[in-house]
Amino acid sequence: MKVVAVIPALNEETRIGDVIRSVKPYVDSIIVVDDGSRDQTPKVAKDSGADTVISHADNCGAGAATMTGISAARMLGATVVITLDADGQHDPADIPALLAPIREGKCDAVFANRFGRRNKIPLIRRLFNMIGNMVTFGATGKWVADSQCGFKAFGPTALEQLDLKMNGFEFCSEIVREAVQHRWRIEQVPTKVMYSEYTLAKGQSFAGGVKTALKLLLRSFIR
Amino acid sequence: MLPTPYQIIAPLVALIAILYAWNLVFRQKKTIWEATLWTLFWGAIVGIAIYPDVIDYLTVATGIQDRENAVLVTFLGILSFIVFYLVVRLEEMEQRLTRIVRMQALKDVRMDEKDRK
Repeated sequence: MKVVAVIPALNEETRIGDVIRSVKPYVDSIIVVDDGSRDQTPKVAKDSGADTVISHADNCGAGAATMTGISAARMLGATVVITLDADGQHDPADIPALLAPIREGKCDAVFANRFGRRNKIPLIRRLFNMIGNMVTFGATGKWVADSQCGFKAFGPTALEQLDLKMNGFEFCSEIVREAVQHRWRIEQVPTKVMYSEYTLAKGQSFAGGVKTALKLLLRSFIR
Repeated sequence: MLPTPYQIIAPLVALIAILYAWNLVFRQKKTIWEATLWTLFWGAIVGIAIYPDVIDYLTVATGIQDRENAVLVTFLGILSFIVFYLVVRLEEMEQRLTRIVRMQALKDVRMDEKDRK
């Protein structure tokens, strides 16, 4: 089982190095997708030990960067892909817990659940996530406890079938839609989250959330 | 009472749209949930076309009762459709652009969909 980590990154030169070094022991290969950064993110990623660094010529969004990473992982012969954020909010020590249900053949995709554990999450962030969950449920008919989390694992079936078309943060909800569409077996694993002022500042704004919701609803009609 | 042309055309268009939506479900391009949303939407259009009285409460709420206003509302509906169409086209163009950027990025690291194992 070849496990590849896909890390979409935008202007993360101060964080990406630590993330790569901490993820390295848990995976066979790391792909960093630089989504049009204006800083030294690709260079820092390469110097920190990322096996593949792919750079978008322009900023396309987290969804597009994730899909680029997944395409690359397929080409490298990955059987399992782990996606995680480049800002260091996820604890790589949770990777084995995410991989376990896939290794045991119990499911096709594993979603991290930051709310399944006692984590220090600001109220406003909890509220935004709840709205995200409700919009996702409205568009897909499936309830996921933490639909907007970027920390996920995809087994062989999901990896083969996953085809993200949404560019921005709405890709998280699109993954839930893909799960419904292809009838993937899903597990949700409680994980640790390490919020800092930095990670909170980089998160989705309320306006971004509204845009995400509108795009999701529009897409569900025009697909 | 004879049905109006609209009462004949609207259900036919709705039927085609609903059949198309479920056809996409069978072709695995749409989920059952999405097709259900479409069915409800077009069902409401048919309902209003056949039983226009159901929107009486809207007339009361908005005060749209005369012909001029009806024409205005119709054109607003057409304009909404045009805006919707433009948004869809923009979405498609954005996706096409993203695809080009993604393909170029993969080519830059000598990875190409054609080389896929």
